Amino acid sequence: MIFIILLVLLSALVVINIATGTVSLKPSEIISILSGGSDDSPYYTILYNIRLPRIAAAIVLGGALALSGYLLQTFFDNPIVGPFVLGVSSGAKLCVALIMIFFLSKGISLGSVAMIIAAFVGALTVMCFVLLISFKAKNMSILVVCGIMIGYICSAVTDLLVTFADDSNIVNLHNWSMGSLSGINWTQVLQMSVITFACLIVAFLLSKPMGAYRLGEAYARNMGVNITFLRIMLILSASMLAACVVAFAGPISFVGIAVPHLMRLSFKTSEPKVMVPASFIGGSVVTLLCDCLARNIFAPTEVSISSVTAVLLVPVVISMLLKRRKNSVKNA
Amino acid sequence: MREDTVIKTESLSIGYDHELIKDISLRLTPGCIMSLIGPNGSGKSTLLKTLTGQLKKKGGVVYLKAEDMDACKGTDIAKLMSMVDTSRNIPELMSCREIVEMGRYPYTGMLGILSEEDRVAVKNALEMTDTADIADRPFSAVSDGQRQRIMLARAICQDPEILILDEPTSYLDIRFKLQILDIIRRLSEEKQVAVLMSLHELEQAMRISHQVVAIGKNGVERIGTPREVFEESFIRSLYGIEGMDMTLTGAVPWFEDVKAKKTPINKARGVIMIQGTMSAAGKSLIAAGLCRVFARAGYKVMPFKSQNMALNSFVTREGLEMGRAQAMQAECCMREPLVCMNPVLLKPTDDKGSQVIVNGRVIGNMRAVEYFRYKTQLIPEIKKAFDKCREMSDIVVIEGAGSPVEINLKKNDIVNMGLAEMTGAAVLLVGDIDRGGVFAQLIGTLDLLTTEERERVGGLIVNKFRGDIKLFEDGVKILEERSGKKVIGVVPFTDVNLEDEDSLSGRFDKQQKKDFDIAVIRLAHISNFTDFDVFEQSEDISVRYVTEPSQLGKPDILMIPGTKNTIADLRRLKEQGFDEAICAYAASGGVVIGICGGYQILGRKISDPDSSECGGEEEGLGLLPVDTVMSAEKTRTQFEGSITGAQGILKDLCGKEIRGYEIHMGVSVLSDSLNGEVKEFTSAATGYCTGNVYGTYVHGVFDAGDIAAALTECVAAAHGKSVDTASITDYRSFKETQYEKLADVLEESLDMQAIYEMMGITRVSS
Repeated sequence: MIFIILLVLLSALVVINIATGTVSLKPSEIISILSGGSDDSPYYTILYNIRLPRIAAAIVLGGALALSGYLLQTFFDNPIVGPFVLGVSSGAKLCVALIMIFFLSKGISLGSVAMIIAAFVGALTVMCFVLLISFKAKNMSILVVCGIMIGYICSAVTDLLVTFADDSNIVNLHNWSMGSLSGINWTQVLQMSVITFACLIVAFLLSKPMGAYRLGEAYARNMGVNITFLRIMLILSASMLAACVVAFAGPISFVGIAVPHLMRLSFKTSEPKVMVPASFIGGSVVTLLCDCLARNIFAPTEVSISSVTAVLLVPVVISMLLKRRKNSVKNA
Repeated sequence: MREDTVIKTESLSIGYDHELIKDISLRLTPGCIMSLIGPNGSGKSTLLKTLTGQLKKKGGVVYLKAEDMDACKGTDIAKLMSMVDTSRNIPELMSCREIVEMGRYPYTGMLGILSEEDRVAVKNALEMTDTADIADRPFSAVSDGQRQRIMLARAICQDPEILILDEPTSYLDIRFKLQILDIIRRLSEEKQVAVLMSLHELEQAMRISHQVVAIGKNGVERIGTPREVFEESFIRSLYGIEGMDMTLTGAVPWFEDVKAKKTPINKARGVIMIQGTMSAAGKSLIAAGLCRVFARAGYKVMPFKSQNMALNSFVTREGLEMGRAQAMQAECCMREPLVCMNPVLLKPTDDKGSQVIVNGRVIGNMRAVEYFRYKTQLIPEIKKAFDKCREMSDIVVIEGAGSPVEINLKKNDIVNMGLAEMTGAAVLLVGDIDRGGVFAQLIGTLDLLTTEERERVGGLIVNKFRGDIKLFEDGVKILEERSGKKVIGVVPFTDVNLEDEDSLSGRFDKQQKKDFDIAVIRLAHISNFTDFDVFEQSEDISVRYVTEPSQLGKPDILMIPGTKNTIADLRRLKEQGFDEAICAYAASGGVVIGICGGYQILGRKISDPDSSECGGEEEGLGLLPVDTVMSAEKTRTQFEGSITGAQGILKDLCGKEIRGYEIHMGVSVLSDSLNGEVKEFTSAATGYCTGNVYGTYVHGVFDAGDIAAALTECVAAAHGKSVDTASITDYRSFKETQYEKLADVLEESLDMQAIYEMMGITRVSS
């Protein structure tokens, strides 16, 4: 039932996002453009090449963030992990920084494609490190710590690089690291959709072992879950989703942490078969909302989406943490 | 419980970083409830975690239904084994039902959707754990006890063949403890699920388990039934509570009536020992009878007695001396007597000392105190002799000596329980009901034995029962109940005329004079007096042992037997006035026969320059012109010869063949042939005679053939009497009839099947 509410919200937000913005579009114009008329209308470009791809990106990437967050929270049984806990975004940022500071400043022009690729490479490199560590780790907390440590190293190195950078590059990097959905085109939407939906399907197929995992690793193993396989698949899919987001939109924070909690509380269940699609859609809704706000609050200035998500979602996260009952006593 | 194995470990070693316990071998059958007990940190949880795969094993193999667990797939293992462990992980936002449904994980498809069969399983699991009413509540909102039951329901739902539980009842109050244990028991009984669980509640482990594994600081310390493990001293040492006052705990965590069991006793196959509650309880005869029973059944049998104290000895073909009782038992076994059957023989010389004979050879005279200390040195010899007997036979029948509970003498025992331990024998304890107090004899003896010794006793025999055996049925029941041992049989009083072991012979008491009377002088150191038993076969003949001249009367024959100490006995005879009585008797024409020592006494002079016996010299009775010198060497041979020159009444015996043996320290030489009146009596100058006085060194001179009958007839004719000698047969064949008689009685009154079982021999009863 709640799904229906979500879907309704989603649709509503789509419409709002189409209509609002620096340039307001009248509903009648929207309908006529959508129904295939007047290609040469100036609103066509706005609608089709700017707003719709952006909306699509928000849906896809928002879902990816929330799903990644959900996967990692289940896996680590830790309510404050998010998609970037394993250092994925730090790695991406490092790589992007390298690109920006060294190549661009030397006059070598690299398109946004290069940035995307750089972000991916950085993210996936860190992911490989984490995977290697996960084979050796006896328990999960080690993995989290390692991820955070790697994040710190990458940040430290990035800061180091920044000292050699020009001011302009620093600003560029800074802007990049705030995350933004602007400037996304349909090709990119296609690319990110492929990756995201592939991971979505994988996550859904993992819902049975993830469900068993809720009882703890010992019981999961006893019931026949292949723990190692599960570990690898979770890390892979979560990291891919996170890498995808970082590559195309930069790090967008809090969505991955807050949305799974919201969904859990709304649906009142932790069953993965429900939570996987719920997180995804929830993530899409929240991101659309935040993006709408980011574009329109101080129009024509676009506020960084991460700021919006932080301001909006932090109170939510805090209240949730306070409400959370301290009743999981773990025995050795 | 069926026999097929559900889970088995072989040399399993477990541990976290280092090896905690190694070489664990466990086996569980369907329906078996096995509890692990032991102090904290001993490794119980480690073991369970290793078996469920949470912890990697350090070595060894675990077989799950005969498959190596390492080679099994995760889902296959999941269908066989499920668990409840100690983790108190409470997943949020899951209902109890969802938790239980998790148990169907190995059975559902890709997305984990439950089929109808799965739902039925869930329902059954909920019912079994009595949790159907809380199924839809959130797991985090129920009590600890309910949670534990839900986890158990989940484990049950997984439809396992083995359930592993790590402290399933800890943290629960008594109501939930009982509930959980009840569920476990039902699983085991109704669904034949094997259960392996670690428990801190020992009282419950005692009552619910089929098998218990105790893990202590030395790894697996004991595996067995509750009664075998829950025994006070073991539990105290396992948990380190030796000497602690148990009143605070209330019920003690061990069975009060179970006594400590130490290492299992050494048991050999085909070795049985007959011990008696006292001397002359009937050990020898029962041993002899059993020898014949086994021999008749086709087994190769050997008798054995480590140390015999007796006056009657036997000389083997090899010229070695051994106890007569064993020689007789060898005859029962239908084989030649060998000295390895009786490696140590003690022939008492007086109240305090004996002649010690080892492996058939005299090694010296020792006083009792000396011998007590010396005898441990004989143990290797005894062992060697026994091993030799064992090699040559299927069954060895060992005869004990005296009572096995002469506690003050028990140290370094080599004749009763000490010997039983050395040889691995199963023991039969014989009590004599004829003398009264058989309950006290048997139960008292058993009571005084140590636990291990008691264990060795396989059964009791009540011997010498007079009357209707049915009247003793109650007695048998009482004995069995109070002693905890089976009564193998009640043997009736059997009058068998067989050779005696020692002076506790009933023979000496027979004083009734019959028509034909033979008087035997009972010398103080009388030995090898079996020579005269042959005459007892006839109803008309009495053989009396006289201790005083007044008892002599007017016998038809006067016999002087062998002795251990000729000179001392001779002196005693003179003191008693026997010398005059004998000479008077001889002068009146009576028949005097002296054998061995008796022969020496009939001579003129006896001297013992080397003090082989008591030293000194003495004048003999002078009825035969023979001088004897005691030598240090003992002559021991078997003898085959004939009567050469008998004169007088026994003249007709000339030429008759005789078979016997010689055992003597002295050498006798004819000093004066008295102008041909003295003739050689027995061949090879082993004896001489003159007139009606006969002397010979040959023991058993009357045994063979028809000598005894002929001799009796000669004498009877001379005295104008008629004696029925028909019953005097060749002593050897007479003995055979007695052996058969004895064997028949034993076979009928004893549970032979039980005896065979005690020896570890499976016998198809014919």
